[in-house]
Amino acid sequence: MAEGSVPSLLPPPVAGMALADGSGSDEVDVAIVGGGINGTGAARDFALRGLRVALFERNDLAFGASGNSSGMIHGGVRYLSRSPHVTETSCRDSGYIQRIAPHLLFRIPFLMPLRSGPAARVALELVDAYFRAYDDFQPLKRGEPHCRLDPTDLARLEPGLVGALAGGVSFDEWGVDGVRLCVLNALDAIEHGARVYPHTSVESVARSVRGDERSRYVVDARDRLDGTSVRIRARAIVNATGAWAPVTAGLIGVPQARVRVRPGKGIHVVLDRRIANFGILSEAIDGRQIFLEPWQNVSVLGTTDDDYYGDLDEVHATSEEVRYLVQGVARVFPSVRLARAIGTYAGVRPTLYEYGRNEDALSRNHRIVDHGADGAPMVYSMIGGKLASYRLFAQELCDLVAPRDFGVNVPCSTHTRPLPGAERVPDAVETAATYGITPVAARRLVYRHGGRALRILERAARRPSELDVTCICEPVLEAEVRHVVREELARTVDDVARRTRLGLGPCGGMRCAARCGQIVAQERERSPAEGRLMAREFIHRQGLARAVALGPQQARQEALTFAHLDASLGRSS
Amino acid sequence: MISALDGPVAASAERRVLVVGCGVAATAAALAASRAGAAVMMLDGGTGASTLSTGAVDLLPWEDADRARSGLPADTRGALQALGGYVLDEGGTRIVTSAGIVRPAYGRDAALLNVGPLSGQRIAVVRCRRPGWDADALAPAWGPSFEALDAVVLRHGGEDVLPDADLAARHDESGRLDWLAHRLREAMSAAGGRWAAVVVPPLLGAQRARAHDLSDRVGARCGEAAGLPGGAPGLRFENARDRALAASGVAYARARVRSVHRCLTAWRVIGEQGQSFDGGAVVLATGGFIGGGLEFAPAEASLATALPASARRAIRLTLDASVALGAYGRPLEVSRSLFGPSPEAIARPFARDALMDRAGILANEDGSVPGSPGLFAAGDVVADAPRAWLAALASGARAGTAAARCLGRSLVTESAQSSLDGEPASRP
Repeated sequence: MAEGSVPSLLPPPVAGMALADGSGSDEVDVAIVGGGINGTGAARDFALRGLRVALFERNDLAFGASGNSSGMIHGGVRYLSRSPHVTETSCRDSGYIQRIAPHLLFRIPFLMPLRSGPAARVALELVDAYFRAYDDFQPLKRGEPHCRLDPTDLARLEPGLVGALAGGVSFDEWGVDGVRLCVLNALDAIEHGARVYPHTSVESVARSVRGDERSRYVVDARDRLDGTSVRIRARAIVNATGAWAPVTAGLIGVPQARVRVRPGKGIHVVLDRRIANFGILSEAIDGRQIFLEPWQNVSVLGTTDDDYYGDLDEVHATSEEVRYLVQGVARVFPSVRLARAIGTYAGVRPTLYEYGRNEDALSRNHRIVDHGADGAPMVYSMIGGKLASYRLFAQELCDLVAPRDFGVNVPCSTHTRPLPGAERVPDAVETAATYGITPVAARRLVYRHGGRALRILERAARRPSELDVTCICEPVLEAEVRHVVREELARTVDDVARRTRLGLGPCGGMRCAARCGQIVAQERERSPAEGRLMAREFIHRQGLARAVALGPQQARQEALTFAHLDASLGRSS
Repeated sequence: MISALDGPVAASAERRVLVVGCGVAATAAALAASRAGAAVMMLDGGTGASTLSTGAVDLLPWEDADRARSGLPADTRGALQALGGYVLDEGGTRIVTSAGIVRPAYGRDAALLNVGPLSGQRIAVVRCRRPGWDADALAPAWGPSFEALDAVVLRHGGEDVLPDADLAARHDESGRLDWLAHRLREAMSAAGGRWAAVVVPPLLGAQRARAHDLSDRVGARCGEAAGLPGGAPGLRFENARDRALAASGVAYARARVRSVHRCLTAWRVIGEQGQSFDGGAVVLATGGFIGGGLEFAPAEASLATALPASARRAIRLTLDASVALGAYGRPLEVSRSLFGPSPEAIARPFARDALMDRAGILANEDGSVPGSPGLFAAGDVVADAPRAWLAALASGARAGTAAARCLGRSLVTESAQSSLDGEPASRP
């Protein structure tokens, strides 16, 4: 079928697109829109197969659902009854992610207590049988099989559990830092020739007047921080914008109905430390399953799932949602009330669209939409998906697109090649001794950067003041802040926080946000005023996320934080 | 309340003012009451916002102050002199902060550098390895007249990670100050040219501000930048307070106060260990949320499985006393949720001029609590008071003076009814 003979929803060809630079450096094979886990995962896969890739992200990498998930690449035990293949692929890919980024994963053993009641014995048998089925998938992700526990076992394992319990089970999942996973995929893509543009919003995708296959599409994008524009010619376009997918479809000019998602808002509450050794499943008042999990240095309560109609760039938890979670978890683990909630985070899942079903019953499956049928050849949308199976999703896309559209038959290697820093992970204690930093700082640094921690410390060894701790809660060294600005595309204090967890701990950025702003401004050769502005924006944004979970102890910290920041930095507006 | 707590009151106690708290408002109250002739006892329940201050002395949040520079309340200057260690500069004060701004203030801890009169002159910012201190970032942030200067400021190993207050304490020693002065002179002459002043991190003394001593030795003005909370200025405040209280004969006890109630002709204050103190007047200067005088306690925080029997106020005083809490000049309302109010409605940064920043004891201009003759409130615990150091000092001085004056007046003459039907006091 000749091009142009199909009625197209694309805008008419744009004339006068000749570019000053004829070297072809503005030409790529694939332009990916969206810097979440699907976009960065696909960018890495395409780049590893030798294709030229450009990736555009309107906000920051992992800004949406990818950076605001429950922080697990779990096996999808919830989906076992409805869609067992989701569970299987999740487990298998969880195993692959362990192989390619071992430093980024940590085991989270979970307890699922069952309350006594008339049907408790039956329920326990059912749960036991259910998890026996799940055990079949556990070896795929090096997970331990479940254990059936009696009330005495439960009390011994987790003395904070209350109420009359009939028993329960334990099972095993893996935690991950979703932001780091995105960033590492983006970094590896860059190291294999991809260009990644964060904070760059695609403004239009037009069919090139040249019409030849080598530069079918012209992507115009604008940097939202400094206003500069970027133009890229691409042969193929991938819409990997998660909950934003229908909005992006409109920009590309393909029918939104083909990429419909049902945006489901999920929030998490962050407590100031690890208040339990186990993840604990509980039921919310409406019977939904919610949990408390120890996660990195903190504990996390999650999660809600509600249809979302608001602005996708401004997703915030509300105090209503916080109360719903705290109430639900406190029923089995009441000390959650005594812990200090230091913040919340919120994201919007891009669940596949269905009308008339409860949010929890929606499929977590993913789907590739080929817009060739919409008159837009070589335009694809990645819809749905989960963090745990992102790599498989990317592989499916590349397996389809690389041979068919580019004649590239290089097999996928994203499951065998280590992500940056994972080639050799140093011992944290040894590293601490070698470079004269505290073991705690070394452990956190190695967790986030694997072998690249040594690169950061090598640089700092030549500039000893960079070994200073910028954020004491996490802790984050000054050298790491500088590293993520130089090497990991961080451009604001928010970006640094996302990559390093700076300012996300108990002090709420009171001690580190202004300093971080200074460092970012220095590294990016911006004015000190710009650094302060970034710090204020970060503080304001975090303030909104903290206030909704305000409790007695946090109210005290909030008063101090604001008093100090008002006095030293000026009032944030 | 009928209990052993209602024992007889010694006659001498009726001539005494009890000050609950140990921050700047409490100190000003104690000194003022003492100066007005009363016997005073301070009950120290632990540190709060005053000890966490970074040395700027404000009457209002400073951005408001810049817009509306009002005169100092009458008692302020005297109270500041009585405390010692603070300066109100003629023509205002400008302070540099480690967050990278130059900001106005009404006054300062004497260790801080006032850069106001130095405008246009060359000011050195010492390079040294201290947490959060980067002279090369700070100098350009503060302005074109600031220049980073290579100087040896740290003398011993480990001082790069020593807490601010500990490093400051080492500079109480005159030998160390001589050493530092020598190093700074060396550095300035090595860099060449004329230097009007030197900014150092917060380290100039814990007992007292050593800025003046150092300036004399260096031959140029020396002073600190305002740093992070919990540093040297807080320690200097505590030491200044202790000296001032000792000099004026204020008695002192460590006690976290649990309740304040009327006991015949006096007020009785009960500590958490059951200690009891009697006085003819009581000044509550327990601080706001930071100091622990006020508490945000929504019902859900203590909720196990059952809801409370009735809705209650989510903001409360951490000690029992018959005072009305309010904000915006009105009594606090009970939230129509058993769980407590929505933080979005009462807290920054959602709410502007947020209830959480205003709530406190409704008190009159002189700090007296309507309906409770002999009971006063001062500082951050007072409703609608600006949460600022100098404002707390001024309100403490007013309350202390008023408390001393009310001693000896019969406490039973005023009607207890007035708290119910009287107009709640409003503050400017």
